[in-house]
Amino acid sequence: MLQIYLPIAEISVNLLVMLGLGAAVGFLSGMFGVGGGFLLTPLLMFSGIAAPIAVASGANQIVATSVSGALAQWRRNNIDFRMGNVLIAGGVAGALVGVFLLKELREAGQAGLIISLTYVALLGGIGALMLGESVRAVRRARAGKPTGARRPGQHNWVHGLPLKMRFPRSRLYISTLPPLAIGAIVGLLTAFLGVGGGFVMVPAMIYLLRMPTNIVIGTSTFQIIFITALVTILHASFNHSLDVVLALILAAGGVMGGQFGVRAGQKLRGEQLRLLLALLVLAVATRLLLDLVLRPADLYNIAPLLAGA
Amino acid sequence: MKTLVGFIAILLALAWGPAHAEKPAPRSDEVVSDISTREIAIKSNFAGIEILIFGSVDFSARAAPDKASYDVIVVIRAPGQELVARRKQRVAGIWVNGPGETFPAVPGFYAVLSTRPLRAITSEETLKSLGIGLSNLDFGRRVHDDPGEETFRSAVIDLKERQRLFQEQDDGVTFVGRSLFRASVDLPVNVPIGRYTAHVYLFRDGVLVSKNQSTIAVNKVGFERLVYLLAFRYPFIYGLIAVVVAVAAGLIGWVAFRRE
Repeated sequence: MLQIYLPIAEISVNLLVMLGLGAAVGFLSGMFGVGGGFLLTPLLMFSGIAAPIAVASGANQIVATSVSGALAQWRRNNIDFRMGNVLIAGGVAGALVGVFLLKELREAGQAGLIISLTYVALLGGIGALMLGESVRAVRRARAGKPTGARRPGQHNWVHGLPLKMRFPRSRLYISTLPPLAIGAIVGLLTAFLGVGGGFVMVPAMIYLLRMPTNIVIGTSTFQIIFITALVTILHASFNHSLDVVLALILAAGGVMGGQFGVRAGQKLRGEQLRLLLALLVLAVATRLLLDLVLRPADLYNIAPLLAGA
Repeated sequence: MKTLVGFIAILLALAWGPAHAEKPAPRSDEVVSDISTREIAIKSNFAGIEILIFGSVDFSARAAPDKASYDVIVVIRAPGQELVARRKQRVAGIWVNGPGETFPAVPGFYAVLSTRPLRAITSEETLKSLGIGLSNLDFGRRVHDDPGEETFRSAVIDLKERQRLFQEQDDGVTFVGRSLFRASVDLPVNVPIGRYTAHVYLFRDGVLVSKNQSTIAVNKVGFERLVYLLAFRYPFIYGLIAVVVAVAAGLIGWVAFRRE
């Protein structure tokens, strides 16, 4: 019985359970190479922590894990700093909008609902796409056909947009509008869902911007540090929803779990990994959807009115 | 165990006290009471606390105690909070928070303990005028002819009762001998901070003859207090510190697990 009182969430949680939760998500993120925020926030909500507190504290925890990640990527020269700065500029705008939207929704009593709905849509969509893609990849691998490799240097509509900029590290000369937009969407998601947003940013940068995959991962990790840090400060300032004790426990668990996850991930094959992740993402989405659709045990709920910030 | 020892010590003090006190004799039966813990500290290991309210009925004004029946009601109340209650309704297959009702002053904690069921002790009017009992709670507004508000009111009471933040115990007060009584209350882990009041009412044959009031301070202390104050008074600095701590944790993690 290692109960620990969370000063802002104002509940007592089991220290080992929370460390384990952080470690489990860290393990998965190490294994799959994703941030894991999109699993952590719903899991915190399932364990009885109010949605806005789960979002803010989740964002704070991601600051810690992305610093570790970005340092490792920086050592391998995998960060395109110029692209990172463009993404951050977009992200700041998105984060500001997201934090104020969440504040309004919380006052209207709809924050939990909108957070859940956004999660269901996002996780359901991405999970389904990943499932389809990985099932096809597994079949192809069984049939002995080579996996379709991306041909570099292909051009798409993105390359016709104005405000072009040179990104030497990525060997790209493209418009700044798509990265700004990607950054803004990710910033909005961070503020709203307490996620890093890598699961949206990475595919978008690979398929839309045609950046090299290794640089995509390094650069997105770099961007995530700044946006999650900003979101942490904004939520603390305007929503008073940050529980730093919770964030620290999760970060401690996450750092430990991540190390084992990386090793476990190296033993599994890529298609199998993606299939597993897709099933996991779909399971979380289903649980959230069921909570929305099934008749709740309590029709009534009470919430304190937020003292004017 | 600790509370028990304290209880016995206070009982002794109470038994000896009146004989040595040089106060003028009270005019009628009087109740005196105290609480085992006047300062409740919420620390990282806080998981709720049991407090003990004890006291004695002073019969010294009476030459020979009669056969009247005595009852004690103890009411513990935390300061009021502004609260909004909402009801979920189905919109397009999804359960959504519908319109709600705002109550300006719902006690953050409210416990009524008594020797017998409240309505067996005294009349409904007396209870109402003293604001004793969940059904007589004042939430800062009350429109009797609004059935909707009544539903929300009882929903709030019901939810708070399930969170153990509202309690009503018919047999919560027990007499030890003829004049000493005790009552214990469990404060759950989610109790709000603030200055609580504890009222002790003495009834003799259904008539209020004496009352006594004391306070309990529930506060976060140490690190929990620091975090709480920072988060609500200097939220920007609090957020900044949280980020710095997270960056430091990330650096430590990177150094500790770096694979060369």
